[in-house]
Amino acid sequence: MKLPTLDARALILISAAIVIDNVVGETVYLLKIPLFLDCIGIFTVAMLAGPFAAAVAGALGIFIGGLTVQPFALPFVPVGFMIGLTAGGLARIGGFRTWWLAMISGALIGIPTTLVSVPIIVFLFGGVTGSGVDFASDYLVAVGSTLIKSVGFANLGISLIDKSLTGLIAFMIANRLPLRLSTSFRFFAHSRG
Amino acid sequence: MALIVDELVFRFPGAPAPVLNGCTFAIGGGERVAILAPNGAGKTTLARWMAGLLPDGGFLNAERGGVRIGGLPATSFTASQRAVAVQFVGQVPAQQMSGAAFTVYEELAFGPCNLALPRAEVRERVDRALAMCNLEHLAGRDPFSLSGGEQQRVSIASALAMRPSILVLDEPTSNLDPESRDALIAHLRALPDDMTLIVLEVALRPSLAFAERFLLLDGGAIVADGTADDVMRHPRCVALLGTTAIRAAAAQIRDAGKWPAALRLPLLVDDGRVAFREAADALG
Amino acid sequence: MDRQRAQAARTLLFVTAAGPLHALNPLTKLMAFLWTVSAAIVLPPTLTLALVVAGVVLAYVAGVGGVVPAKLVATIVPLAAALALMHGFLIVRPDEVPLGPLHVSPAGFRYAYSVVARIAAMLTASLLFVTTTHPGDVLASLDAAGVSPAVGYLIASPLLLLEPFSKRTRAIRDAQRARGMNLTGTWKARVRALPALLVPLVTLALSDLDHRAMVLESRAFGGEKRRTVLDAPPDSRGQSRFRRIVGALAVVQLAVPLLWH
Repeated sequence: MKLPTLDARALILISAAIVIDNVVGETVYLLKIPLFLDCIGIFTVAMLAGPFAAAVAGALGIFIGGLTVQPFALPFVPVGFMIGLTAGGLARIGGFRTWWLAMISGALIGIPTTLVSVPIIVFLFGGVTGSGVDFASDYLVAVGSTLIKSVGFANLGISLIDKSLTGLIAFMIANRLPLRLSTSFRFFAHSRG
Repeated sequence: MALIVDELVFRFPGAPAPVLNGCTFAIGGGERVAILAPNGAGKTTLARWMAGLLPDGGFLNAERGGVRIGGLPATSFTASQRAVAVQFVGQVPAQQMSGAAFTVYEELAFGPCNLALPRAEVRERVDRALAMCNLEHLAGRDPFSLSGGEQQRVSIASALAMRPSILVLDEPTSNLDPESRDALIAHLRALPDDMTLIVLEVALRPSLAFAERFLLLDGGAIVADGTADDVMRHPRCVALLGTTAIRAAAAQIRDAGKWPAALRLPLLVDDGRVAFREAADALG
Repeated sequence: MDRQRAQAARTLLFVTAAGPLHALNPLTKLMAFLWTVSAAIVLPPTLTLALVVAGVVLAYVAGVGGVVPAKLVATIVPLAAALALMHGFLIVRPDEVPLGPLHVSPAGFRYAYSVVARIAAMLTASLLFVTTTHPGDVLASLDAAGVSPAVGYLIASPLLLLEPFSKRTRAIRDAQRARGMNLTGTWKARVRALPALLVPLVTLALSDLDHRAMVLESRAFGGEKRRTVLDAPPDSRGQSRFRRIVGALAVVQLAVPLLWH
């Protein structure tokens, strides 16, 4: 299978998305909102440039984070790849045409994300990620659930809410972009309402 | 290398009117040209067409006409051919950085390396461009840590490292302080004689120092083409560009009926000194 | 030419030094890192811990002893505590014994210890790589190896744009605060502030897109199949051979436990 090529604009879009996702986390932390919202850039790339570009943005975003502040995050590169690929696939079938579709798509993306991340968290990190989700996992384990189920359900719960909101915000952003910018990405036709 | 804009008509998707409407002019090799127009008149769009950055292979295409560089349609050039034929430097300094270089030296080398030139030639070009734009002391610095004026010089040096036949500059002095502006103008005056220089500006004054020919852009078309004085005589000139203080003063004297008919209105302070003396002598 | 690259990238963990690791080709170090990750997965905890100790010693030899151990401890200690809590106290195991009101599992603690050793080994290897390898050198070695310039751009550009963009983000926040936005009030106010902060931030990041694309096009990016590499990191036949052996080992040693079972 021949991989799609990325032109200069797609490369810059991916680069911008990686920077956005790294910096948004800082803003969310400042507002003390208990969410991640660190995939807004990936979702935007998915809507503008499609699944391949978004998968590259997702994987590289985590890799870049690993080179700068979180070497710990490097094993989650496949998770970023999966988020981008799924988001791009959903954008292709019109999953981001309206605000409520964008929220549903976001929530749907949470499912394969959790499926890929849970084995990494459980088998590589013993069920612990160092984030607030660990409290939920600990609680579920304490009330008798197995480790995989606890980590799975805790991460799925947070992921559904987090990705759903991410879908909504990415939808708002993509539809407020200057026409000159958004029309220059042909793939965006799938998401234009 | 000659550049011809031929009956170019271009409109952005969804726009009610074309931003370039039958724009036509020809610039010969080695000319120093200033294209003047107020904000929003289509200067940057025209600059992008001249630099071969439009059409973009997507939705942005000409309705009619096009650009020819060296006698060939600009659309027939490969990326490398176009990069060697014409270089473009935009308005906002920070937006001119490639985002792929960790130092100024690497920024200047980025283009020549993309052309797959031999290492020795790349180094020679970069060293020369650094010297031409007074950037040797900044060679090891992060381009994004520089001031606006320094970044503007880096982007011009990066363009010069490509050794283009044509250099297109979009309002190169607009984001600079007076000292940086004067330094930049000095660099532009020192460019190789065989390089065509096209500068797009909102005001006449900055380009007077290095341009020999002036074009006035209005309504998407060129309405005046000649010396600075030819442009200033155009009825739309004052409305589009305003006027220099010296010229305004002389025009006031002319309106009061006290300016000799044969004497041209001055544009610069030095011209004004001579002209006012001649006018005073003529009046006795 | 003195490139002063550490000055160029304050957001990186890279440390400027003249140690033996800095002189190695980045691809050699990358391969060693991948081998360590593979080894940490298959080795017993004692040997994995030995990798950590070797890594810390190497950090001091390489001149990054001021950064690697500190970052390692800062990351591992909370993780170890969380793992001990989860596996030693919370997860029910057959060997658990009562300890006052709690139940403690020695097997659980042993499991937590094995996970901590594994993560510590991976983290040490990762920290050694990023503290002794500037991304510019990774780029140059990828260019020299004939990898597409697009890959190099995607690694370099976000690293370079991170700091200028963070600065502009702070400016947007300050501007919104000056206009009366409440960033520390009720959760409703904070949630309402979110789009007002994020939308201009993202729009700003993307507005540069056109201009930067023009710059790349102007400079003939992607115009030729290969780019000139000005300062390729030094390489040798020995390092090349080492990479091939270590790379093969990294894959083979992963397969051994599977075959064993």
